[in-house]
Formats: sequence, C-alpha cells, structure tokens
Amino acid sequence: MDWLYWFKPWEASILVAGATAVAAILFLKGSARSKPSFQQKSYFWAGLVSVYLVSHTQFDYYSEHQFFIHRLQHLVLHHLGPFLIVLSRPSATLLGGMPPRIRRVFRLMAGWRPVQYLIRALCNPIVAVTLFCGLIGFWLLPAIHFTAMIDWRLYRLMNWSMFVNGLIFWGLVLHPGPILSVRLSPGSRIVMMLAVAPPQIVMGAMIFFASQELYPIYTICGRAIGGLSALADQQIGGIILWIHGAMMSAIGVLIVVRNELMPRKHVRQEQSS
Amino acid sequence: MDKRAARSLSLITGRFISGLMMVLAVSACTSRSSWHLEQVTGHLPELNFSLTSDTGQAVTAETYDGHVLLMYFGFTHCEAECPVSMARLARITQLLGSDAQQVRVLFVTLDPERDTPQVLHRYVTQFDPVHAVGLTGSKEDIEALTKQYRAAYRPRSKISESRDIMHSDAIYIFDSRGQARLLATSADSDENLEQDLRRLLASADGIRQ
Repeated sequence: MDWLYWFKPWEASILVAGATAVAAILFLKGSARSKPSFQQKSYFWAGLVSVYLVSHTQFDYYSEHQFFIHRLQHLVLHHLGPFLIVLSRPSATLLGGMPPRIRRVFRLMAGWRPVQYLIRALCNPIVAVTLFCGLIGFWLLPAIHFTAMIDWRLYRLMNWSMFVNGLIFWGLVLHPGPILSVRLSPGSRIVMMLAVAPPQIVMGAMIFFASQELYPIYTICGRAIGGLSALADQQIGGIILWIHGAMMSAIGVLIVVRNELMPRKHVRQEQSS
Repeated sequence: MDKRAARSLSLITGRFISGLMMVLAVSACTSRSSWHLEQVTGHLPELNFSLTSDTGQAVTAETYDGHVLLMYFGFTHCEAECPVSMARLARITQLLGSDAQQVRVLFVTLDPERDTPQVLHRYVTQFDPVHAVGLTGSKEDIEALTKQYRAAYRPRSKISESRDIMHSDAIYIFDSRGQARLLATSADSDENLEQDLRRLLASADGIRQ
C-alpha cells in the first residue's frame, strides 16, 4: 500500500478537501440532468483532479521545498487546472447540481449590485490582464516569496489566489458567452491572452538569467531533491514560467480561433455536440 | 458611465496593489537592516513539542522557558552539515561567554531509530556539554515538528533505505517565550549570529524586568 502514501495530504486543508468534494458532487448531480458531452466531462475531471493532486497530496511537500516544483504547482493551479475546468463549460452543470434553494440564493447573489460591480471590475480586460500577471509577479518578489513559503497561512492564500485568479482569467478569455452582462469580442479576448504572455516571458527570463540565488528560502529550509544546485533549481523554475506559462496563451488563442473565428461548419459541429 | 466606473475601479485596484507592494517591500527592507539574520517573527508558530532529552527525560517546550533556543534538525550519522553546524553553534555559545547561560542548543534527531538518548548524549556533549541538548522521540512527533517549521525532511523508510536523510540546514532561533524570531543558515557569519543573539538576549531581559 506504499503508493497510497503519495495521495495522503502533506498538510490537510478542510477548505481544499471541502471545495473539491462540493465541486465533484455538484458536477456529478448536474451531469445526470444536463448530460454534458464526454469531452466536457473529461476536461472537468482532468482539471479538478490535477488541481487537487498538486495541492492536497505529498506533491505539496515537494512544492514547498523545491522552487521548480513550486512553479509546476502554480502552472497547474493558475494555468492548466482552471483552463481545463473552464473548457468544460461547467457552469450549467454545476448550477443544475445544486439544490433548488441554494440555486435561488446563488442567483440572488449574482443579481446583487455590489457583486455585479465587482464582477464588472474583474472582467475589465485591463484589470484582468494586470491581475493575472501582477499576481504571478507579486508572489515571486523575493521578500514576499520568502514570507509566503515560511508562513502556512500566506502559503495557502497564495495558492488559493492563484487558482481563483486562474478561473477568472481563463473563464473570461475562453468563454464565448456573456458572463452576467459582460461580453467581450473574440478579438479582445485573443489580445488579452497575448498580453499576458510577454510579462511571463520577462519574469521567467529574469529568474533564468539571475546569477545569484533569488529565493534563499529553499536553501534555508532544505531542498527536497538532493544533487540539484540552487541556481539549477532556479533556472528550471524560470524556464517553466518563461515557456510553459506563455505557451498556455498560445493554446488559448488557438482554441478561440477554432471555435469562434473559423468558418461556421466548426461552430455548428461544436453546438451540436 | 459604467465604463468610467470600471476604469476608476481598475485605477483604484491598480493603486491598491502597487501601494501594498511598496509597503511590503519597505517593511522587508527595514526588518533586514535591523537584524542580520532573516526575521520570521509572527510567521512561524510558537515552539511546541513533547520529546525525550538525551538524559532520558520527557521534555516539552516549557522545560526551556526563559532560554533563548537554537533549534537544529540533524542526525548523528550525518557526515556533512550536522557536525559543522554543531561545532559552529558551540563556537557561538563560547563567544557569548556568560550570556550563554540563557541559551540552549536543541539538536533534534531525524533518525530516532538509531539515535537513542545515549547515542545523542555522547554526540552533543562532544560539541558542547553545557548548552547543547539532544532531543529524540517518535517518528510522528519529529515529523510534525519539522512540518511545523517547514524544514525539509523525508523519513528514510518512505523513499529508500540506502539514501541519506534529506534535511534542512536552518537554525531556528526562539526567544525566551518560545516565539520563533530568526532563521540562520551556514551562509550567515558567526559574528552576525552572535550579535543578533545578544540583541535577543538583551530584549528578553527587558521583558522580564
């Protein structure tokens, strides 16, 4: 039963376990009603499972103690996981899975003025792009990164903020339909995805080319993988942000082009499936 | 109107974020200039453990109340970092002279199976018979302690028997009330460590008077 050990949470979090369970149950219940396609189901489960695996298993130990694994964790939390969840267009299924009373409360809340203002502000393209890149940069400021890795409360806040921000950003740029009353054209959504790539490339390159250790916390608290020098660890982490982070934008752009800007044949196929 | 509202909101959020970053950056700079070592006050939990000392006694964090504590995770079979760090800590208690009476070095073993209290006693007294204390306990208790302080540690059995134990090289410094205050590594000079410890000892006296 040794392999089961790897699925044991390194630091148990009721919030992560609870949120994952609620999302899973809602999706399962909603699937019985709204019958999402196989593709939608696989995107949703792949996204949810990958986010859970990187944040609530022994993987988390390695993310705490190795910079490049921490970058991989954030790649899943901020990019890949939310990206897949958004691609599955789960909102109708999740809403369908809710008990009617909660669904009503949910709808009431969505209609509430302050919530609408907040959503409108977050859906502003400039705010969304700034928040997406700003958050990556903020948690990577050496002084902030040090504190976030040492303080478990900040560490959790960091991971949650990345995931929630990922959902907002990818939800905004990959989703063709209006989110409440906000509707963005495919063109502006493509520009948004292209806009987040250069800051990630610059940050990744800055980390990659740094000649000194930017994040000594991993040396202080010890690295999980022996035999890898501090600079090598930092460089791999930089590369992940530089290439893989920016790569997700390219995939997103291709998806929007294929689904919305290609000749109608594709759109009709999408709709019928 | 809505557009204007959204634009002003985006401006406000932008200013808020940049303001927050400035405040954090400034606070990081000021805290660095006053202490030589990394300050961790308020970020790591209060010292809390129940282990067995190298004399075979059951001890808790309260046993060392009133002492400035230097906690280090290691094991007696460790050939590289542990002896160097222990020798260094012995040197620092020497540098502190009579002030060292208020200081205890806690050497927490990561290899409780081999490091019995007797083995630990022999090991720590080699370096500093007065101020160093060896601590051992159950695997779970030790793992919980390393986890609490975010010290890298994979127990041998979980990975492979042949490999060395991965561990952190940090010295966790607690004030006389058990609050985590500073983090030192092998990169910090002995003088810096000594100066910061003197400062911590002085402020601890101030609290008690």
